Amino acid sequence: MTIIQFTNVNKYYGDFHVLKDINLTIQSGEVVVILGPSGSGKSTLLRCINRLEDISSGELIVDGFKVHDKNTNINLLRQEIGMVFQHFYLYPHKTVLENITLAPIKVRKMNPEEARKGAMELLTKVGIPEKANAYPSQLSGGQQQRVAIARGLAMKPKIMLFDEPTSALDPEMIGEVLDVMRTLAKEGMTMVCVTHEMGFAREVADRIIFMDEGRILEVGTPEEFFNNPKEERTKLFLSRILHH
Amino acid sequence: MDFSFLEVHKEDFIDGFLTTLSVSLVALVLSLIIGTIIAIFRISPLAILRAIGTAYVEFFRNTPLVIQVFFFYFGLASIHINLSKFFVGSLGLAIYTGSFMAEAIRAGIQAVPKGQMEAARSSGLSYVQAMWHVILPQAFKLIIPPLGNQFINLVKNSSVLAIIAGTDLLYAADVAIANYDVTSVYVLVALLYLVITIPLSIGVNYLEKRWAKKG
Ligand SMILES: Nc1ncnc2c1ncn2[C@@H]1O[C@H](COP(=O)(O)OP(=O)(O)OP(=O)(O)O)[C@@H](O)[C@H]1O
Ligand SMILES: [Mg+2]
Repeated sequence: MTIIQFTNVNKYYGDFHVLKDINLTIQSGEVVVILGPSGSGKSTLLRCINRLEDISSGELIVDGFKVHDKNTNINLLRQEIGMVFQHFYLYPHKTVLENITLAPIKVRKMNPEEARKGAMELLTKVGIPEKANAYPSQLSGGQQQRVAIARGLAMKPKIMLFDEPTSALDPEMIGEVLDVMRTLAKEGMTMVCVTHEMGFAREVADRIIFMDEGRILEVGTPEEFFNNPKEERTKLFLSRILHH
Repeated sequence: MDFSFLEVHKEDFIDGFLTTLSVSLVALVLSLIIGTIIAIFRISPLAILRAIGTAYVEFFRNTPLVIQVFFFYFGLASIHINLSKFFVGSLGLAIYTGSFMAEAIRAGIQAVPKGQMEAARSSGLSYVQAMWHVILPQAFKLIIPPLGNQFINLVKNSSVLAIIAGTDLLYAADVAIANYDVTSVYVLVALLYLVITIPLSIGVNYLEKRWAKKG
């Protein structure tokens, strides 16, 4: 079943054409990894999915909602989409538990006791139930990012978006975050991930999307993409990334 | 120093002190509310709200408080809207101080990383919910010091009430100096202002320290 569909999507920042004629269909349960050089539009593409950015033309349908339509209740759609950012953006004035339960209580009107129970289950899932009452500043980067994932999952979303979730982490903490993402993928979550972790992409992705200068240049399975890239730009990108 | 004027004017000073204190408290709460609303207008995605916010700040910040209070009291009276001195004093002060608070609060809101709003909105919170639960608590922590300064200015500025013969501290002094030692009277008045402003300073410092600890 199709859950995300871009049809001839274009986006401009002023005169700058940041997304060029994007056509992309993502199925429910699919794990899609977006690769590409810096500035190629990966984050922008991702952020259009939950309308953190507006598209300029074309059609974008997510979970049956026309995202670009001004009449769409965006808060309703966003409940179905969890998002994880490079810099976590946990709420520093709230405890870990409060970070996770805020949206379920305020948006889903879940009763607080129930929300806390759900949050504890998620914290157990990401491996840090003992940090429930800590503040974000008391956690390591890897722990903060795992809390951020738990927060994203708290609304029981259908889709999870990841924008370079491990890029701000010390190398020894990358594994623990990727492990959580791997588990999610196995459970059948629909995931769209921007990452530079080639190992993760190769192992977990169902499909790789390669972007360059605002276009989707190449789409393929990890097998095809890494072993048999078609485009010259892709080959160049891979040679740079894999040999540094 | 000769505080003998207290024998006759003790009641005036007590009344004056209480008026200054209560006008200040009412104005403080009101100005905080006005300041927050205007600050949110100033950063709103809607151009019309931004324009209203800017006009408000520029107008009330750049005209003398005395003129504003005169306007509210005498100006409105001339079109047969008669307001109590207490009300005019509190409202005038709140409207004036609100323009300074709006700027302090706006700076605080804008100092909160943009990602905080994005994280909150992407979880399905509305703009108002995200402001209330995520942005404002962080912003207020940052603006406690500048806000504290505004609180203190507000208490001191409440002395404009005297010019419309509101029975505040300065008015009590005006009455007493007719027959007694001027210096002593003003020393007492200054001390009574300090009785309000010093605990306020201490309170602000305390809040700042307590919140600084909490991550
Ligand atoms: N708000 C904005 N206004 C103007 N230009 C922008 C804005 N946001 C991004 N851009 C530009 O759009 C282009 C694509 O940005 P985007 O963040 O999507 O790239 P990216 O592929 O995620 O890059 P990176 O790997 O560095 O994160 C860049 O050239 C960037 O400078
Ligand atoms: Mg990016």
